[in-house]
Amino acid sequence: MDYGRPSLADALAAEYVAGSLRGPARRRFEALLPGHPALQAAVRGWQARLMPLTAAMPPEPPPPEVWRKIEERLWPQPAASSLAATSGTADGLVWWRRLGVWRGLSAFATLAAVGFAVLLASPAPVLPPVVIVLQGTGEGQAATSSFVASVSGDGRALVTRPLVPVSLQDDRVLELWSVPPVGNPRSLGLISASGLTVLPRDRLPATLLRGGTAALAVSVEPPGGSPTGVPTGPVVFAGKLVL
Amino acid sequence: MKTDLQDWPERSRELSQLLARAGLGDRAAFARFYEMTSGHLYAVVLRIQRDRASAEDLLQEVYVSVWKAAASFDAARSQPLTWLTSIARNRAIDSLRRQQAQPQTDSLSRDDEDERPDPAEALADEAPGPLALLSRASDARELSSCMERLSAAQRQSVALAFFDGLSHAEVAEQLREPLGTVKSWVRRALMSLKSCLERGVLRDADHPHSEA
Repeated sequence: MDYGRPSLADALAAEYVAGSLRGPARRRFEALLPGHPALQAAVRGWQARLMPLTAAMPPEPPPPEVWRKIEERLWPQPAASSLAATSGTADGLVWWRRLGVWRGLSAFATLAAVGFAVLLASPAPVLPPVVIVLQGTGEGQAATSSFVASVSGDGRALVTRPLVPVSLQDDRVLELWSVPPVGNPRSLGLISASGLTVLPRDRLPATLLRGGTAALAVSVEPPGGSPTGVPTGPVVFAGKLVL
Repeated sequence: MKTDLQDWPERSRELSQLLARAGLGDRAAFARFYEMTSGHLYAVVLRIQRDRASAEDLLQEVYVSVWKAAASFDAARSQPLTWLTSIARNRAIDSLRRQQAQPQTDSLSRDDEDERPDPAEALADEAPGPLALLSRASDARELSSCMERLSAAQRQSVALAFFDGLSHAEVAEQLREPLGTVKSWVRRALMSLKSCLERGVLRDADHPHSEA
């Protein structure tokens, strides 16, 4: 069958997502999916169209042992139920959890375009550099702008640059933070709100690209940076490190 | 918990956030994600895979893989609830396939020893039938006018296939209609749904409502 014909691809995707494509035809379709971006796009379109229909179904809470079994499988060690810890605060990630760090995910296109520009500006890397998009966490203009950070492959050089200059009050500066998976964020130094900043290499954590940093964030601070060693002003940009 | 269709994007924003955190290894975020979605997902799965023990196993599988895939979830490409529901539905449909591969007496009386109604009884049962679900979903968006152009049997075909995970053959059996007829009904209903939703999107674009 010619799966390349758009109307056929769309019709098949519809039946696949609706669930009525079954048996060998369903298996064939699934086998074809990974190699067919057009088919994948058609499937995503139908998922977006049809899945919301399931919102009409009254929810049915699963029995509690389902969650218990999930926990057992994912974290086989003595696992205190993390359901109880949902509102926990003893964790350094707390402030950052409130942020829209996930929004960084939505900036892949920009990342590709801007990544190259930043790459050229960084010291010649041995390993490929890691580019992180820090998405605006605020409302309005701040929410749509973003910062790009590029870390050299060896984790010893970090360059930041805003996509568009960030407007700040005169008596405020931007500070860059490394957010570890556990514990308090660590300051990497002040960064320019309008142009390129090359961070002093002695400020970078040795484990930056080796699991020591889960995300980067930018906060607004008084001149000279946070007086307390942790972010005091609002965090205006954040993005997670995807290695 | 609200489950209205309008909530879908709204809840998705919060869920994307939780997923991103789960992707960073945050168990509490994942627990919250489970709390917010498992009721919906279990309902979706149970409707297709009516055996509760199998449905529970399946749900477990889904969340285990979601935890593992959380870091690679791309919020720009799909909404988390859409993504999650699709994964769960696929697994549920696959589980029917495996079940059918085993000897089985009759798909309409497969849970004799069980409290669960068989698919035919489910229509008369107090739980909303597939058609009721479809019309409830239609209320939320302007699907109803498009769906009204289809006959009740056509609507029912697509609802049985979608909500209850019935194959064309099972729908045909249940509606006592020829297989070919049912196939074309489902296809037509889906295409009608698509053009209807696309018109809706165009209309929304004409009258945009601000979104934070």
